[in-house]
Amino acid sequence: MSEKDLVAAGGFVVLFLLMIVRVPIGVAMGLVGVGGFGLTVGWSPALNLLATSPLRTVTDFNLTLIPFFILMGVLATRSGMSRELFRAANATLGSLRGGLGLATVGACAGFAAICGSSVATAATMTNIAHPEMKKAGYPDDVSTGVIAAGGTLGILIPPSVVLAVYAYITEQDVGRLFVAGIVPGILAVFMYMATVRLWYGGKLPAGAPFRLQEALGALSGVWAVVLLFAAVILAIYFGVATATEASAVGAVLTALIGIARGRLGLRSLLESLVEALRTSVAIYTILIGAILFGYFLAVTQVPQNLTQFLIGLDLGSYGTLALIMLLFVVLGCFLDAMAMIILMVPIVFPVILEMGFDPVWFGVIIVMTVELGLITPPVGMNVFVINTIARDVSLVTIFRGVLPFVVTDVIRLILLIAFPIIVLFLPQTMG
Amino acid sequence: QTTLRLSHWLPATHPMHDSIVAWGKSIEEASGGELTMEIYPAQQLGAAPDHYDMARDGIVDIGYVNPGYTAGRFPIYELTGVPFQANDGPKAGKAIHEFYKNGGYAEKEMGDVYFCLVNPHNPGRFHANAPIKVPADVKGKSVRPAHATMARYINSLGGTSVQVPAPEARDAISKGTADAVTFPYEAMKSFKMADVVKFHNDLPLYLSSQVMLINQNSYDGLSDTLKTVIDDHCTPEWSEKISEGWSTYDNEVRQEILNDSSHEVYEPTAEEVTLWRESVGPVMDAWKADAEKAGFDPDTVLADYEKALEANGVKY
Amino acid sequence: MTPSRLTERVITVVERVAAVMLGLVTLLVFVSALGRYLFASPVPDAFDLSRLALAVAIMWGFASLGFRGNHIKVDILAEMLGAKARRVLDLIAWLGLLLFTILLTWKLGGRVLSQMPGGETTMDLRLPHWPFLACVVAGLVMAIVTTLIRLWLVLRYGEGLEPHETLKQDEAHGAGHE
Ligand code: NA
Ligand code: NA
Repeated sequence: MSEKDLVAAGGFVVLFLLMIVRVPIGVAMGLVGVGGFGLTVGWSPALNLLATSPLRTVTDFNLTLIPFFILMGVLATRSGMSRELFRAANATLGSLRGGLGLATVGACAGFAAICGSSVATAATMTNIAHPEMKKAGYPDDVSTGVIAAGGTLGILIPPSVVLAVYAYITEQDVGRLFVAGIVPGILAVFMYMATVRLWYGGKLPAGAPFRLQEALGALSGVWAVVLLFAAVILAIYFGVATATEASAVGAVLTALIGIARGRLGLRSLLESLVEALRTSVAIYTILIGAILFGYFLAVTQVPQNLTQFLIGLDLGSYGTLALIMLLFVVLGCFLDAMAMIILMVPIVFPVILEMGFDPVWFGVIIVMTVELGLITPPVGMNVFVINTIARDVSLVTIFRGVLPFVVTDVIRLILLIAFPIIVLFLPQTMG
Repeated sequence: QTTLRLSHWLPATHPMHDSIVAWGKSIEEASGGELTMEIYPAQQLGAAPDHYDMARDGIVDIGYVNPGYTAGRFPIYELTGVPFQANDGPKAGKAIHEFYKNGGYAEKEMGDVYFCLVNPHNPGRFHANAPIKVPADVKGKSVRPAHATMARYINSLGGTSVQVPAPEARDAISKGTADAVTFPYEAMKSFKMADVVKFHNDLPLYLSSQVMLINQNSYDGLSDTLKTVIDDHCTPEWSEKISEGWSTYDNEVRQEILNDSSHEVYEPTAEEVTLWRESVGPVMDAWKADAEKAGFDPDTVLADYEKALEANGVKY
Repeated sequence: MTPSRLTERVITVVERVAAVMLGLVTLLVFVSALGRYLFASPVPDAFDLSRLALAVAIMWGFASLGFRGNHIKVDILAEMLGAKARRVLDLIAWLGLLLFTILLTWKLGGRVLSQMPGGETTMDLRLPHWPFLACVVAGLVMAIVTTLIRLWLVLRYGEGLEPHETLKQDEAHGAGHE
């Protein structure tokens, strides 16, 4: 090991120490980045990194779509679109055995199509679907498990804040990545529904019988969601707008629809903006830190050496991919999805390219891998959020309920790795 | 044994990367292996517009900077981006070097770094998805300009400048965010634009000139022998030489596009060229105002620049 | 009024100003996109103005997070510890944040002050960047103050940090409610 390797290894150790004592992840990365750069290059240049890089990050136009998409999701939540989706899904699917569970998955998918965050999707569905399922006699582990898993659709089905960050880091076209998430997202919906039926179906009650009139009435309420999805994702797909423009249009339209229907007042509009701001700042803080940390890694030439090392292991492209995914699953034990993508993707991305994998395809694969982290112990953000809302359901119960969906996720990952065309077919049809 | 970190923002596949590597090799050899170069491409150590500060602050020892990315910061240097001054890339590099460094302007405007080289690309042109034959055709169009001075030019013609990073220029065209771009021909390939812009106005228009800057402390810390090695590699002749690879590649791409029947390469008539040249007036006036505000006499500066261009036979 | 309540009020105002700015930036990009699409004329400088204004909003929001504590962080150890040990952890964590914020304010502030007035301008209208950058630095200065206040509250009153991404009860019930 050279001196630079030692500094880099030490940097990682200090980084994890700082993170475990609750230093904000972005701040920990920033401090270690500057410190490591100082040891490698010199203290004056290291401190001067702070004069340029963080400002560049917060003024980067390519990142502005992240707060816009976050705002769109918050506004959609506050104007009750998730409730309408659930009502419509329930009117259509509710009469089947396990119908409420199927409806929850459907509503999660619908909400994911206008909201870029998994946690937000899980949180809003807990409020709406959990009481309904409880009333219908669903066991707690089943109902919360369905919501936790359904929530992960938030970052797979576009728009997706995590995919947007991935696109930024790897300099891929964010629109292409969004479109690539559509088919795997639909696949996930069907597999989750199948899981509800095949795994839990036997002990779940059927709902009220299907009534066409009611179903049509409920469906007429979801036009707003359909319109928003069309305005954002179809506009991107057909090349009418850039992703940034689409995100701003989506946020403003969501607000206008909410106001027009009398569901958003001045006060809730302001609260939505505040909430979106807080979430955005939290993400920007990680980005600021990760970019500083990245400069430190670059001068130690660790990413280059790691690429050589991984290739030297001679595991073949799929063996190396498996190793990388394993790394993400392990890190997912205590890091959240965004932090993992921002910290680790720059390091492993060159290897992925070297192995000849498609960067868009890998984006979807890695997002699905970090999704797993959202619902597996000990740290599973979706599970935590459900736990803070459904106070009477223990963490263990939720983790138990989500287990079959973890199995489905793994099967889906294997499918998409074996048949990359499932991911790439749709983006390849774009101009 | 000294290692110098050099950072630039072009991808490692860009022809300019090879030229920079070759320049670094030449320094290594001239120093008898005492100086080595660590080259970081593709913004690995910082964003493109930050490269001046990075070189000044010692984040890198050598920075490859596009002064056009930071509007208003280097008012004199912005003259090199005004259209219809120089009609060649490499030779203009030598001329700008003589004008800016030897004329003492570098000392006034970029005095906190060691000014090393100038690297313009071949003159850039309009590339569009619909014909732009005369200045009036720019009116109402959205154009992705190469730099701040070209943005001003587009605006003065009644067009709108659309700011997107160069790698997204293709996307901006295909999504209709922009109708046209100003680039050298080479960008049709390196930014994969050839399938979205089919009209090319062949009139050589403007330069975008990068500079290579060395951190003052890094330079001062070298032994006298090594300082001489660096000095020998920071000459007007090297400014020309380091720019040749990019220029050759640009000419090759232009030829490919000429040979490709799906592209229209338009040769403006003599009257049209006159119209184009007259259209630069407001931009030149704006530059003069900026230069004056910065405490320079614009006419002297312009005369100095023109003299250097003439001496190298590249005056438009 | 307790120090905590007082700061809460001030922070709420700061946060709302920043939030409104986020809203305005969204509108600006929306209008510019619409203008381009419908009338082939985007708003001049929409690119520079939106990114500069957003930077201000983000940095003012940074001050808010310094007080509230809902930065993204690893809460797993904190949740396993008792109240006393957790307080020590929170102190270390927020000292880290304070150090980073001070360094950032010092370096970034120094750079902005050294080039104002003057320096970089926007591409189209040639408006100076520095008023925006000055607001960014103001946000950082506020962040130092708010982080200090939080540190003091942790030390003196044992008030902890909000874990991130957990909703407060009222917000949780508000979410999805019409
Ligand atoms: Na989504
Ligand atoms: Na996990």
